[in-house]
Amino acid sequence: MKYRPSLPEHNDNISHNQQFKEFLTLLSGLIAIFLIIFWALGFFVDIAVTHITPENEAALFSKFKPVIDLKLKEPSERQADLQAITDSLRECMEVPYPVTVRLAKSEQSNAIAFPGGTVIVLDGLLDKVKSENGIAFVMAHELGHYINRDHLQSMGRQIVLLALSTALTGTNSGISKILANAQAAGIARYSQQQESRADKTALQALNCLYGHTGGATEFFEALDLEEKGFDNKALHYFSTHPELKKRIANINSLRESMGFETKGVKKF
Amino acid sequence: MTDYINIIVFFILISCGYFFGKHAEKNHYASINKREKKMLKIPTTNSRHPIGEIPDVMKSRLVHGNVVISVDYFKRILAGLRNFFGGPVRSYETLVDRARREAILRMKESCPGAGQIINLRIETSSISQGGKNTIGSIEVLAYGTAIFFYPEN
Repeated sequence: MKYRPSLPEHNDNISHNQQFKEFLTLLSGLIAIFLIIFWALGFFVDIAVTHITPENEAALFSKFKPVIDLKLKEPSERQADLQAITDSLRECMEVPYPVTVRLAKSEQSNAIAFPGGTVIVLDGLLDKVKSENGIAFVMAHELGHYINRDHLQSMGRQIVLLALSTALTGTNSGISKILANAQAAGIARYSQQQESRADKTALQALNCLYGHTGGATEFFEALDLEEKGFDNKALHYFSTHPELKKRIANINSLRESMGFETKGVKKF
Repeated sequence: MTDYINIIVFFILISCGYFFGKHAEKNHYASINKREKKMLKIPTTNSRHPIGEIPDVMKSRLVHGNVVISVDYFKRILAGLRNFFGGPVRSYETLVDRARREAILRMKESCPGAGQIINLRIETSSISQGGKNTIGSIEVLAYGTAIFFYPEN
């Protein structure tokens, strides 16, 4: 038998399929599974939230300290003033537990409602909003989230998202870290529907406290003025807060439909 | 915002991995096919004995060839997705195939005058195995005994 060197005609050791197609198929499958689980768990969170009584919430989160680089300020007169506004708003609204207001040093202007009844006001807000009514609206809006249990829902969904991403990508992955940071910051993301609902509750409370709803749009108008400098439509696209103009228009139409008046505002 | 940047970076890396990986693979296969044809003149076997009737042996020596080929980002992600669903990891098949053939070619090219190579062994070793966040690569070592014949007059 003579040895004849030759090469195989066909390479059977490799698959001659399209890898890119395989990639797309697997990736879309994975995303679909992720979305289905997220949707289902989110649905359970919404149900579970309605079963958490305010007492339970207070017990669960009384020790809750937001682990963020928020520089909480020492108690001050301004903080006491904010607390007083919030307390008088509570008489108009059915917030089921006491709410504590804390000021934090920040260049951003925002107020964040944490579970357990702590509202942290980033003091950039006080530079933007000059009237008591304007501040009362922002506080009433946060209280509105408490009444509607939005803060628990959004926190629950964030926990679900974090758990899912950790399960898929591991605790040390970049995605999990980003989500964990957002989670620790307690920066709640609300849907546009939740925001509009809280705006409505806030308008009612403002009308109840002052007899009119002047100053309700002050904060958003100030933000709008500031943003005119930049044309950041892309940021708005991703934002859960409805675009400022739309939001102001929405508040105004709510005012009209509920027959609230607009009068002069008190200086803060 | 960081989330979106991360996602965009991920897709840029994926497409870079895909196009560069594909290009490198195409070139490598072209080179392998060409050199394999050229190296057909050295019969190679894993048997302990030479193939067929042979002339007198002048000398023999150990020859080896080794290669390390890295996985591109696209292939790695694809294999990761496979890891989730199960099934054949097709994206690594070409790597194994290329590494094995390249190692044997290098071994043959190290002894152009040899009459035959016998006792061929192929091993995979691993430089990066076990460590976290190390590069993903395949390492193949091929070795055998090259025998040189006296020229037939």
